[in-house]
Amino acid sequence: MEQPRRITDSFPRRRRRRGPGRPPGRLKDKKDKDKDKVQVKVRDCPHAPSQSPPDPALLEMLRRFDLSWEYGPCTGITRLQRWERAQELGLSPPGHPLPVLPTLPADPLTLCPRSLWHEYEL
Amino acid sequence: MFSEQAAPTAQGLLAPPSAEPPTFPRVAVSGYSDCSQPFQLGQRSFCRQYAHIYSVRLAGMRPSLEQRARSRWGEDVALRKLSELQAGEKCCVVGTLFKAMELQPSILQEISEEHNLVPQPPLPKYIQPSDELFLEDELQRIKLEGITDMQRLVTGTILAVYGCEQEDGKFLVEDHCFSGLPPPLAWSGPSSDRFVLLASGLGLGSVSGEALLSTQLLVDVVTGQLGAEGEQSCAAHITRVILAGNLLSQNTQSRDTINKAKYLTKKTQAASVEAVKMLDEILLQLCTSVPVDVMPGEFDPTNYTLPQQPLHRCMLPLASAYTTLHLVTNPYQASLDGVRFLGTSGQNISDIFKYSSMDDYLEILEWTLLAGHISPTAPDTLGCYPFYKSDPFILTECPHVYFCGNAPRFQSKLLQGKEGQRVLLVTVPDFSATQTACLVNLRDLTCQPITFSGFGADSED
Repeated sequence: MEQPRRITDSFPRRRRRRGPGRPPGRLKDKKDKDKDKVQVKVRDCPHAPSQSPPDPALLEMLRRFDLSWEYGPCTGITRLQRWERAQELGLSPPGHPLPVLPTLPADPLTLCPRSLWHEYEL
Repeated sequence: MFSEQAAPTAQGLLAPPSAEPPTFPRVAVSGYSDCSQPFQLGQRSFCRQYAHIYSVRLAGMRPSLEQRARSRWGEDVALRKLSELQAGEKCCVVGTLFKAMELQPSILQEISEEHNLVPQPPLPKYIQPSDELFLEDELQRIKLEGITDMQRLVTGTILAVYGCEQEDGKFLVEDHCFSGLPPPLAWSGPSSDRFVLLASGLGLGSVSGEALLSTQLLVDVVTGQLGAEGEQSCAAHITRVILAGNLLSQNTQSRDTINKAKYLTKKTQAASVEAVKMLDEILLQLCTSVPVDVMPGEFDPTNYTLPQQPLHRCMLPLASAYTTLHLVTNPYQASLDGVRFLGTSGQNISDIFKYSSMDDYLEILEWTLLAGHISPTAPDTLGCYPFYKSDPFILTECPHVYFCGNAPRFQSKLLQGKEGQRVLLVTVPDFSATQTACLVNLRDLTCQPITFSGFGADSED
């Protein structure tokens, strides 16, 4: 006997794959002290199966971008907004976060990789 | 001038009506473009702190200030950040000013139960001799000493100071400068006389109806229903009317209904409802004849923080049927016939008045132009939207007419800059108190007051 068809059958079920692009709080054995201080809630982030894992150097660059003071205050705006503001003010921020978008867990509201400070309310 | 043109034909009223009544077509509107897009907020999000607006203000104004510093104190003046200061070295620092005032109303002090303080009543001025100045840049702050007329300065101004750091950690200032007049805009004004009427503070809905007659007289003059053919032909030269804020009076703001019990206030109506109906009728009369720009003010039904968004057209059903009604933001920037207008409803100037020693509204208006920022006290003491990307109040180009509404009296001045800037500064008086409006001539940037009075010897100036 066939199983009754459901609407959700049209969406293929995928196993969540663990990868380096996960939200930092999930992997508790990370040695990065900065990330341990940030209380990140573990959330499911569906993302397209990435062909290649995101470049750790790129992640490191984004992390440094979040932590450096030259590009202005960090809290309350997304990484992309802060990067674009730095670009417009002529502060020459390093690299560009857009190529990294499909490979990083994206916040569905802002469509941009979360910065280190996104959990802080204001 | 308005009345000089009218005088020769004044005897028209004593002659019998002619067979064909003369018609005076209003001067055609050409070249109007609304430049206040930076002040229009779409989606508003208040989930941000104000650190962003200060940061972009400093970053945005730093280049022009560094250029001014070099031209004033020499090309090789040392421009340092606060973290790079060395004691005794003469250098120039660019930063944001902060004035620590003891009398500044602080909400934290008011609600603090430990202090048990009665909230401070609003004072006309909050300055005191014991106020201190601090200069802040991206990372540090330093106390400033030695600035002459320090009470003229307000928090939030970006300035450059020249001096040296002392042993005790304070900065001794020898000289300071602002970013100066913004770069000039090309002039392409009209060649014939064209007038723009500036009025503010109509104050509808107030307890006394004295100003209503004057308001009706104003509408009649502009629509050409007053006076003989001379006045009518002059009124035909008025191309636009700008109402700069406070269309409703402060009385409509009473919040008694909040404190009273619900059963007592069930049938009462807010005073602003009746006042807005009156405003709609007045605007209807004006809009049938001349384009009108309506800016919101402190007591108008729109948001409180700067930039105030335009009044909603659902409040003015009769007048918004006409395309000549333009509901615009506060501050407002537009280009009329090649002449750039920039103005506010006066909240920025009156806020600076409260926190500095300057008494003259025209002087404060000129000072904001020289400081390169429309309202430096926002967001410290004046409500402001938390911008993060850019500060729209920074003056990037020098307007041709710079006005502020709701001033205590009419004043105007033509300012000439070194780079060829010509600015007409106008303080538009409060109409409900003074019954005076301003006529700006776009051809030669002159301004004259025009007073409407019911009983008395006053006549058109």
